[in-house]
Amino acid sequence: MRCLVSGVAGFIGSHLAERLVRDGQEVIGIDCFLDYYPREVKEENLAGLKKSPNFHFQEANLLELDLPALVQKTDFIFHLAAQAGVRASWGESFSIYTENNIRATQRLLESCKGQKVSKFILASSSSVYGDAEEMPTSENSAPKPVSPYGLSKLACEHLCYLYWKNHKIPYLALRYFTVYGPRQRPDMAFHKFLRSALHGKEIEIYGDGNQTRDFTYISDIINATVKSISTDAVAESVNLGGGSPATIWQVLNIIEEITGKRVRLRHIEEQKGDVRHTCADITKAQRILGYAPQVRLGEGLRKQFLWQKGGMLDAY
Amino acid sequence: MPIDKELLDILACPKCKGDIIYDQEKDGLICNACKLMYPIKDEIPVMLIDEAIRVE
Repeated sequence: MRCLVSGVAGFIGSHLAERLVRDGQEVIGIDCFLDYYPREVKEENLAGLKKSPNFHFQEANLLELDLPALVQKTDFIFHLAAQAGVRASWGESFSIYTENNIRATQRLLESCKGQKVSKFILASSSSVYGDAEEMPTSENSAPKPVSPYGLSKLACEHLCYLYWKNHKIPYLALRYFTVYGPRQRPDMAFHKFLRSALHGKEIEIYGDGNQTRDFTYISDIINATVKSISTDAVAESVNLGGGSPATIWQVLNIIEEITGKRVRLRHIEEQKGDVRHTCADITKAQRILGYAPQVRLGEGLRKQFLWQKGGMLDAY
Repeated sequence: MPIDKELLDILACPKCKGDIIYDQEKDGLICNACKLMYPIKDEIPVMLIDEAIRVE
């Protein structure tokens, strides 16, 4: 089968494409190398994939590309391309998010009209919930994003729904909860924490450190995302989380244990748009995707640490 | 207290959405309605129904 992966040079996109190729799929990978973090990092993510005859890479922007021609004969679309970052999405920067998240998704969905796409899989985010009242948070909780980024992801989900309702484009929106592991983006917390610990630098902590996240290891995310191909479920939003919320303090304790180093901290004011707690209710994912997270925080952090030390190139 | 109090206050049973209580002796979060205990591993609560332990 033919799969299109947008954002293929990113953290999750590159892992997903590798898995699809390994499963025997033909993968068309698109990336425009947004400048949110260095291009060299993304090139490195793609290095293994480019050796595969079943992988075809195209450097292009979804806002400019002739998408109907690309989407033709595509069975599955994994739309992972996005402008990432909760804290950077305020003010003038919001237009970057409306363009690269909302308008790019609309263009891609529009190109699916009249085509035989079996499923459009959207990478959504736990940030659509904002400060959820229910914890663990199920998909029935009313999404109330507290960041412009979260709002842009929710808008993408709504776009999927309206193209399903009006044009019968089957979709699934996967709400990823704080994904980590090898190749994690350099601006994300674990990457920064481990980098600082490795270099003996201060770790910056936003707020009091008692905020929690439902950290989810990359291989669990990839397993569930690939299962989106085979499920009959359509037009659903689905949580993908680890089911085990941990505070930043607990993460730091594990990092001290893994690195064998005492971390030095610097406290920074809580950031606007950051939620206090996240914890996924994964009952729905279990039901429709057979999802069951396998990798615990300590084990996953150790794998990411080994990768950041340069001793590990594969997440599995 | 091995589990953060603020977190404990907002967590509910993922099955029935009802209240859970911390059991120090068993080191888990118990839902009396469902008779399930969500274990705490390395001080992190595992809020997964599949991994919950039946309690009397």
